[in-house]
Amino acid sequence: MITTPSDVREYRRDLKRALRNQFLGNTLETFASAFRISRARAFEGIDLPGLIGEIAEGKDASIQRLEELFQSFKTHAEAAGVKVHTARTALEANALIASIAAENGVKRIVKGKSMTAEETFLNDHLEKAGFQVTETDLGEWIIQLRGEGPSHMVMPAIHLSRKEVAELFTRVTGTPQDPENIDGMVKVARRELRQAYLEADMGITGANFAVADTGTIGLVTNEGNGRLVTTLPRVHVALVGFDKLVPDLPSALRILKALPRNATGQPISTYVTWITGATQCTTAPEGRKVMHIVFLDNGRLALARDPLFSQALRCIRCGACANVCPIYKLVGGHNYGHVYIGAIGLILTYFYHGRQNARAIVRACLNCQACKAVCPAGIDLPHLIKEVLRTVLETEGRKPAKNRLLARILPNRKLFHFLLRRAYLAQRPLTGGGEYIRHLPLFFSPEHQFRSLPAITGTPLRDRWHKMAPQVKDPSIRVALFGGCLVDFVYPEQAAAFLELVKDRNVQVEYPQDQTCCGLPAKMMGENTVAKAVAIQNLKAIDPADYDYIVTLCASCGSHIRENYPKLLGDSSGFGVKMHQFMDKIIDFSSFLANVLKVEPAMFREGGPKAAYHAPCHLCRGLGVTQEPRELIGTAGMEYAPAKDEDVCCGFGGSFSLEFPELSAELLTRKLDCVEAAGADLLVTDCPGCVLQLRGGMDRREGKKIPVKHIAEALAEQKRANGRRSG
Amino acid sequence: MESTIRTVEIMREKALAVQTVFTTVAGLREAFSYAVELTGSQGGKTLAAPGLGGEDRRELAALCEQRGISLVWENLRGHLGRIHTGFTVAQWGIAETGTVVLDSTSEDVRIASMLSETHIAVVPRSAVKPGAVDLAGELQEMMKRPGSYVAFISGASRTADIERVLTIGVHGPQEFHILISGENGG
Repeated sequence: MITTPSDVREYRRDLKRALRNQFLGNTLETFASAFRISRARAFEGIDLPGLIGEIAEGKDASIQRLEELFQSFKTHAEAAGVKVHTARTALEANALIASIAAENGVKRIVKGKSMTAEETFLNDHLEKAGFQVTETDLGEWIIQLRGEGPSHMVMPAIHLSRKEVAELFTRVTGTPQDPENIDGMVKVARRELRQAYLEADMGITGANFAVADTGTIGLVTNEGNGRLVTTLPRVHVALVGFDKLVPDLPSALRILKALPRNATGQPISTYVTWITGATQCTTAPEGRKVMHIVFLDNGRLALARDPLFSQALRCIRCGACANVCPIYKLVGGHNYGHVYIGAIGLILTYFYHGRQNARAIVRACLNCQACKAVCPAGIDLPHLIKEVLRTVLETEGRKPAKNRLLARILPNRKLFHFLLRRAYLAQRPLTGGGEYIRHLPLFFSPEHQFRSLPAITGTPLRDRWHKMAPQVKDPSIRVALFGGCLVDFVYPEQAAAFLELVKDRNVQVEYPQDQTCCGLPAKMMGENTVAKAVAIQNLKAIDPADYDYIVTLCASCGSHIRENYPKLLGDSSGFGVKMHQFMDKIIDFSSFLANVLKVEPAMFREGGPKAAYHAPCHLCRGLGVTQEPRELIGTAGMEYAPAKDEDVCCGFGGSFSLEFPELSAELLTRKLDCVEAAGADLLVTDCPGCVLQLRGGMDRREGKKIPVKHIAEALAEQKRANGRRSG
Repeated sequence: MESTIRTVEIMREKALAVQTVFTTVAGLREAFSYAVELTGSQGGKTLAAPGLGGEDRRELAALCEQRGISLVWENLRGHLGRIHTGFTVAQWGIAETGTVVLDSTSEDVRIASMLSETHIAVVPRSAVKPGAVDLAGELQEMMKRPGSYVAFISGASRTADIERVLTIGVHGPQEFHILISGENGG
């Protein structure tokens, strides 16, 4: 039986234990790297965004008419000799399948891999009812023998080493197994399971597709066990979620084009099987198989009617959202989901397995958007995760202190900024006047010591603006600077660097004083009301009609405004047009310099540090900007040093790093290791949040400390050096 | 014709990428010799050719007899665990994924293609299509028939469930051979 902690403290204990498992960490790291390459190769020559769009559109259309598709499926399948059932709940499905087994005098059952059967805990039910159940997918068989749940939707036993499997097989067969002979262990399974197929009276499978217009089920497997399970026993039961219904074969083929490529990087899985009705079976009465198909609701039909969460039913169970998730990579599926794992697991757990199982794990999301970028059905996974979190918090009515504090302070800009100024004074005993907080206040535990926290500045950007603002008579470009809290109150020097770079370019830059936090921290904590309130304040503070561009040095602010403002405000808020104009004019620093100012090498010193680049999640995926910053490094005369996993999250994730410091610390360590391995003597990035994390981590790091700069600072330095040379 | 040659070339490339043995034969006769030769060289004793009848069967039976191989063509449940080679004639090939489409509605075809050590599938050259979508109509017709069982086969049975190490032959055949039959352009 699977247990998932409902308490964050308990959950963190599990996470720490998982972080100590070196085999797991190495395996999943290697897998993530290999997956990235094989997936890219598998999609070569395919219009992937186009395919994702088509799948999403097709799935959405089906989700709207599941009951109609079901009726069509049922009519066709029953005409072909199948009995089609519906089960409203997991319990109903299990009981139904047990009664089918009993009616047919079944003793032994073989199973093909089915996440839906995992969802209902079908095996437990059947075994309690006295049936002997054997999983036949190798990975599923292994975890069944160990009494575990799958740790990945496609590779259920990825968390186990060859040594653990050898020990298990030694116990099962009574013959010593050599862990280095994987082929030999696979042959053990072949032998043992062959016997199970031959003796079984009934086969149970799931289905990847239920094709409505012919009543056909489609099964995708690599091992071929699905074919044996559906061929040898005289009874076949398929347990199928309502979400697997597709109108016709072309819809299924479209999904099939993406499924294996996105799951395992294969152009196609070895066996794809299409079964229409009761097939020939010479050992069954009348020579036809006894076939039943059970459609599982278990909350799906209600989910289908929700305007937002229905998206979750687009999932085709490829498992890729786990493969690319920085957290999954650290702790594995047993610590990142309940039955369903990975990003989609955090969402489905809430709907299929309840709040108690979802409430702790759903907090563990960095909002790095890696899952969203890899999803073949275009599901907005990070958004749905945050919406589940919000729903959980609102349902429970007992919000964490940080939420209550945020809700009190953030909507009142003057209070918020007053407190930030006060914090400067309060921190002085902790900073010793330096740039970092050297001694963390007592409410931080030692686990938060993995990075130094920066000191809050004595004079925030907004207070020094009148002295800094460039005076331009007849500007050719009018810019509003959107600072964001970190640039305003922690790193005003990043804004100064920006001004230095636009100097002499006839650019007027203003800092509208009523602007406030973009609202992302509130959205991350599920506080949508607060996020909406500050969004409106920003729309009031900056009238897009007054500017050609709204530049931000913070990728997180930029991507939050562009992506989440419409979700928070909708078009009925009265701000619809201004909001869209705002979104259209917002631009990140690197894009502004590269594409608007079109800066040239002549402006910078030739030669400079060897610079590695960290691609902020909210820039490369949130705003889709990837080329500009890398080109700027070269334009500014520095040597670009490519590093491994440049676009993998640094582990900041705003308040995530406070809630899960152990995960944040590990992600940071890996990131800095990659930078060091690249042989860089400077690390640049274009988000002050990432700067905070990376610089703080570098400060605490043993050994070589590579300076970390916002790309604006690095460029300004190169410009200054050029001025010194020519001057 | 030019395009058929290209399509078969793509199919070869994709099939080889998934460890399928891919070759061309002039016709069924040559495919029989290939199957008997291969079975003999692997030490196989039984060859299953479900549904094969008439002159074809007599010819294959004669070749088998010369190599001391017994030929079975029906009631294959009676031979479970003893079939070395499954010999089938597939309906189509799909070039883009190196896939064979095999109508497996007959239980014997399923047993021959699933429970053999080596599976040999013959695909008529004219039946090789560039992509699965080019077959959607034909496949839909097949699926409309009650009791139909259509298999896409793209290589030998495989798993990577132990430490992601690719291992061939976990449940189904350990070798998969595609024989494209018919002359170039034929």
